Amino acid sequence: MPVTVQVLDSTADDSMLDEVFEEFARLDQTFSPFLDGSAVSRINRGELSVEEAGPLVVQAAELCRLYEVATGGYFSAWPGGRFEPSGLVKGWAIDRSASILARHACDDWFVDAGGDVLAHGHNGDGGPWRVGIRHPVERNRVVRVVLASDLAVATSGTYEKGEHILDPHTGKPATELVSFTVAGPDILSADVYATACFAMGSRGLDFLDGVEGYEGLAVDRELRGAWTAGFAALCEGA
Amino acid sequence: MVGVVWLLNLKPAPHGLSIIASSSGQAGYDPNAPQPAVATPSPSPGASPTPTPSGATGTYTGQPEDAFYGTVQVRVTVSSGKITDVQPLQLPSDRARSAYISQVAGPMLRTEALQAQSARIDIVSGATYTSNAYAQSLETALQQAKLG
Repeated sequence: MPVTVQVLDSTADDSMLDEVFEEFARLDQTFSPFLDGSAVSRINRGELSVEEAGPLVVQAAELCRLYEVATGGYFSAWPGGRFEPSGLVKGWAIDRSASILARHACDDWFVDAGGDVLAHGHNGDGGPWRVGIRHPVERNRVVRVVLASDLAVATSGTYEKGEHILDPHTGKPATELVSFTVAGPDILSADVYATACFAMGSRGLDFLDGVEGYEGLAVDRELRGAWTAGFAALCEGA
Repeated sequence: MVGVVWLLNLKPAPHGLSIIASSSGQAGYDPNAPQPAVATPSPSPGASPTPTPSGATGTYTGQPEDAFYGTVQVRVTVSSGKITDVQPLQLPSDRARSAYISQVAGPMLRTEALQAQSARIDIVSGATYTSNAYAQSLETALQQAKLG
């Protein structure tokens, strides 16, 4: 998963960025289902319980449970009984990176992990960070530009054939939408809500309406966009 | 034959907003009525109904109605007796507008065809892949290739 970190503060140095990348690596080693020795792989082979895997894994599992309840089960880290917290860990890693940068008193930065973005402060032109929401088909173009000064922007979806986000309730692919973007104050929530709302389809917009401070854009298979009331105000051209 | 006029009153319900129709002057609130009901037909200023064998066709503007949050007014387009568009002209708040659109519009959820634009941007948010989906498809591919 590509991870991009940019810090504009003149006080920033490589060691701060190293800390951020080490945090991503640490979480990957613990939670990656592709690493045989990760805690998640060992848990799914029955070699380890969540509790035995240590406080980091226990905390992840607890966060997953909370979000499962909050999203009515549309976010689930236990599809088919396996423990798969990847949908939470990505946003969580970004969130933990933010703490590292805050600890170093950085003001102007962003962290982008696999298309989920947390932006803080200002870009090189002194304005808010300009976060483009990628057009589902014309990959080098965007459908909206979100202006992010202290904002998380997470997009969930699939533009490619053969990839699916499953509706945990039915076990079948959610096919109404091609993407769902969530913007809000917290990257962990934005990331999870984007996944859950994608699985809900256009009803994800109703769900977000009930969540204070979070706005969303749903794009369907005809490339029509629909959004929550406050989404336009976050975008350029508002 | 007079056209159908919808006078819609918007009031909060526990899980969103219920839309009910009222005849002029009589506002009612039914929390169990999530779908709009047809009002007693009466002419509305500015409406020019076109009677057709299969129903009315035309655009109808409801009277502004006092709702819990404020004033609501909608315009409804009817074609051959079927509603083809509902446009809120006044809504009390942005949140109400969004909930109204979600609640009432259903299949008529107002959407906009998205245009691709080239814009100066710093970062891109996009679903290049999804955590779970990517993981599942990659795992399957690895198993098939007998590498995983």
